[in-house]
Amino acid sequence: MSILHHPSDETLLRFAAGSLPAGPALVVASHLEGCAVCRNRVAQFEAVGGAMLADLPPTPLKADAFARVLARAQAGQAEKDTPEGIFLEREAPKKLDGIVLPRALHGCAIGAWRWVGPGIRVSRVVVPHARQANVILLKVRAGRHMPAHGHTDFEITQVLRGSFRDGGKRYGVGDVAEGDSECDHAPVVGEESECISLAAIEGHIRFRGPIGRLLQPLVGL
Amino acid sequence: MLKRESVDPDQLSRLVEAIAASQDRAAFAALFEQMGPRVKTYLMRSGTAPEVAEEIAQETMLVVWRKASYFDAARAGAATWIFTIARNLRIDWQRRNQRSEPMSPGAEEEADLSPTPEESVLASFREARVRAALGELSEEQATIVRLSFFAEKPHGEIARELGLPLGTVKSRVRLALARLRRILDEAP
Repeated sequence: MSILHHPSDETLLRFAAGSLPAGPALVVASHLEGCAVCRNRVAQFEAVGGAMLADLPPTPLKADAFARVLARAQAGQAEKDTPEGIFLEREAPKKLDGIVLPRALHGCAIGAWRWVGPGIRVSRVVVPHARQANVILLKVRAGRHMPAHGHTDFEITQVLRGSFRDGGKRYGVGDVAEGDSECDHAPVVGEESECISLAAIEGHIRFRGPIGRLLQPLVGL
Repeated sequence: MLKRESVDPDQLSRLVEAIAASQDRAAFAALFEQMGPRVKTYLMRSGTAPEVAEEIAQETMLVVWRKASYFDAARAGAATWIFTIARNLRIDWQRRNQRSEPMSPGAEEEADLSPTPEESVLASFREARVRAALGELSEEQATIVRLSFFAEKPHGEIARELGLPLGTVKSRVRLALARLRRILDEAP
């Protein structure tokens, strides 16, 4: 699998900084599973965080802070570590239509495919602890145009099966496409197979055309 | 008052390793004094209320103590490791409190995505190179990187701090990060 299209540096930086909202962060996490280049980039940006942290002026902690932490440290050898993330469950790999889904999705509730128009199905992904995140799986038949749309804020998509073309570029499995408020597009799915993609949308999406208007209430964005 | 002093990265790593090896309380005290207050500053700058920042900073240092044996200097420097712990705790706190809720990138990576040998080799060079790269950026670019990293709404704050129209911020961010990438990708 050769990945041609990666998240932007700004997106990876915000991911490393922990300021990317849950939906887009899920798509980035899913991309990182298959992309050593971006894992390295995120590690660099985390090192940027470390360097900036070391360089910050200190803000004094409360006078008893060290004593309290030390007491907890010594009392709490038995105390369980609090989970730091949501993917601690060890589940069997989750599959959908024969694709092993990214591990990033394992903790998520994935809805059934819903028909939203000819050749287009959508499944809602519910991210634990971030239920308001707008994340969907989108399945579009080979050769079909996806509904034309623009966004008020930010959209990030990773291809899980098949491919689509958008703005003269081809996005295959593992590739990530980002769109912002300046982009208004109608991607076309490749002829070789249906396309399944994982998309996170921040802000609102504005569909155009009859299928888009069908999709709008169902996707609820 | 605590005075501003720079932190020695190698010394930080040795302190964490001493905690891991022998639950060294003196090492923990030294690490706590250097990093606890900086973690608090980081949290406050990323929009965390001071009393919450205090709590998360203490929690971060507790996790540092408990997880010291997982620290691997070949993967990341100590300041970077502590940064990722604080970041993940901040995200967890936001999530529990139902605010806009970034997802923590670290947990899963820790569990499953062990670095390839190439990635590990790179890690030992990465820290020094990143520090050098940050030093090579212009003042404006360094500000952009810092605000992109710490700010909740980076574009707005970059516009305000640098007195730029919002419309040009996006391209400035792109330029600053492209410069950072070029410096980082150059052979050391």
